Amino acid sequence: MNRDVLQKKILTILTEDFEFEQPGLNDNLRDDHGFDSIDAIELLGKIELILGFSLTWEEKEKAMGIRTINDILDYIEVIAASRKP
Amino acid sequence: MKVDRFLDFLVTILCWAWFILGFFLFFSWLYLGVALFAKNKEASFQRLNSRFYRVFFYLLRVTALRHKWEIDQEVAAIRSAVIVCNHLSYLDPLLLIALFARHRTIVKTRFFSMPVFGWIIRKSGYFPASGEGRFTKMMLAQMQTMESFFQDGGNLFVFPEGARSRDGRVGDLHKGALKIARLCKAPIYVLQLAQTDKLFPPGRFLFQSRLKNSITLKIIDRIEPDYQEDTPSTAMLEQRLRDAFSVRVP
Repeated sequence: MNRDVLQKKILTILTEDFEFEQPGLNDNLRDDHGFDSIDAIELLGKIELILGFSLTWEEKEKAMGIRTINDILDYIEVIAASRKP
Repeated sequence: MKVDRFLDFLVTILCWAWFILGFFLFFSWLYLGVALFAKNKEASFQRLNSRFYRVFFYLLRVTALRHKWEIDQEVAAIRSAVIVCNHLSYLDPLLLIALFARHRTIVKTRFFSMPVFGWIIRKSGYFPASGEGRFTKMMLAQMQTMESFFQDGGNLFVFPEGARSRDGRVGDLHKGALKIARLCKAPIYVLQLAQTDKLFPPGRFLFQSRLKNSITLKIIDRIEPDYQEDTPSTAMLEQRLRDAFSVRVP
């Protein structure tokens, strides 16, 4: 999946499920959209669906430090690449 | 008047004595035993917390006789739900712990660093109010077991207004519990607690044991969304909660 497709999917999730209004790729998720650690855990469940596999504990822990949508995209790309056979 | 203050002082000292001596003499070894040997440590810690505060409220009831307690029986029967309640006094969380043997709640992060209390709330599976920094692991671990906690009949209770209300108006609502309800597809019960602040007013050290008062706890709304067909947004749940709190039953 290329970054543009991924970006579209993540933006759809953030606007539809997390009620983001006009999200910017470098917005601070917490300060600009009230996105907290419980939201992050919910989002991880959706990322698992996109990736088609479960995330490890370490991967989930790493995700809790994410601050922007670009960080989310980087995070997914790194994990997808690391799991490639 | 002086007699009243003296009696208030005695009741307050008795309650503090239970908190300190009751804990060290009767409960500390139970907590230790559970920490070492219990199969389900978290549930056992929660039950001990509940018993500890039941004794506390028993002492309050028999020493502050002018305060009548009217707790709706339906409240104590709630299981597998997110419970949200208005917040008036420091007594409120203790009352809900006493009512629900299997419970979790959300606690300010600074309490997790306190010596004995911090250990107990960690072992009890309570949530840190923030999942930032060193609380990330704890938040992830608690969330991972949240669905099975609800399946076991546990309740997550919270005071979404955060701080105790001094004027009875609805403050800013914290949405964490609503997000958890949505994520775990749990029903939400809205409770109204009244007059605990007459017994233990905010900012005061002494209980007002001689005041004639009626403390009530009742269900004012049940939010049971159809999560399969139409999961409500957090904003919708928040509005429903705000409406329920705004119409507080007299």
